[in-house]
Amino acid sequence: MSSSEGKPMSSRLKSWPMWMFMAIVTVCLLAVGAGREGGPLTQQERIDVITKRLACPTCDGESVFVSQASAAVNIKNEVARQVASGQRDDEEIIAYIEERFGGRVLLVPRTTGFDSLVWVLPVSVLVCSVAGLAAAFRRWQREQGLVPSDDDRAMVARLLAEEPQDHDEVPR
Amino acid sequence: MNDSENSSPLNAALEGRSRRSSLIAGAVGVVVALFFVVLVVSSPEDRETAASPLLGNPAPVVRSTTLENEQFELSRRRGSWVMFNFFNSTCVPCRQEHPELVAFHEAQASVATPTELYSIINDDSDNAVRAFFEANQGGWSKVRDDDGSIAVAFGVAKVPETWIIDPNGFVRMRFIGAVTKDLLTEKLTELQTAFEGM
Repeated sequence: MSSSEGKPMSSRLKSWPMWMFMAIVTVCLLAVGAGREGGPLTQQERIDVITKRLACPTCDGESVFVSQASAAVNIKNEVARQVASGQRDDEEIIAYIEERFGGRVLLVPRTTGFDSLVWVLPVSVLVCSVAGLAAAFRRWQREQGLVPSDDDRAMVARLLAEEPQDHDEVPR
Repeated sequence: MNDSENSSPLNAALEGRSRRSSLIAGAVGVVVALFFVVLVVSSPEDRETAASPLLGNPAPVVRSTTLENEQFELSRRRGSWVMFNFFNSTCVPCRQEHPELVAFHEAQASVATPTELYSIINDDSDNAVRAFFEANQGGWSKVRDDDGSIAVAFGVAKVPETWIIDPNGFVRMRFIGAVTKDLLTEKLTELQTAFEGM
């Protein structure tokens, strides 16, 4: 039996290789889960998925899926018609609606042009924040390890030497 | 305090941190200022009311029936100037612009090549539309759009909207909101003059 086998479980879990292994497994599972294709959607599921991505052009913040406004119902009917015809995929149907009503009809912003800032900015801010924090932590660590210079030592020694005299001068 | 104290590593570190803080604050300020400039300079889409990707392009396919139960197909109207007015009998601006459309339609009767006017019924019942036209005149055809496909094809979200299509079947103009007889006549004349010069 090796020495590691004799250690309690909690001790072994605390070791970094185990944590690293768990992190790799988690990332792999997430990657597989995210990239996995779902089964074929029914027509109604496709209609729901598409209309949830489209904004009602005459409402504030409502999707075509939930809105009962005339324009939203018209768009829903058009999506249903195009899904039934089977000639366009989801992205093409959304592009058709966007072409007619403009970019304001998209609930999920585009990943190109000015709209891409919506996606890029949060990631950039996160990366910059993490980098800034890392730099700050490193700096604080360095500052904690500052070695006093000869001048600093001389100043402290001088002050210590002066201290008893100061006490003597305090009136009783 | 003597010079040696001023140049201690602690003071140097504090000065460095202060410089960095100023730099970071300056960078954040610049980014915020840039966003402000973009916000002020960019024009909201709503201001471009009459813009449409259809302008200058072939009109969408329109196939439906009229209130008189006759077949209507836009492609069969080639050779004529066509005007679509998206309409709902309960919409207040539609009701307000109606006398202007009646006047425009009457004026077109006296020109050599009259523009064909069609009302596209938007989210309304046949009976309500018939009752409205009986009470308020308007002898042009009314085209059904029961499933809203014509409205979506033209990107119409709110009524009234008026569209002009040239004799070759190309979309030439879009009016969002109520129109007047004078506005329609003026723009149509401009378009027809430009078309004849092509």
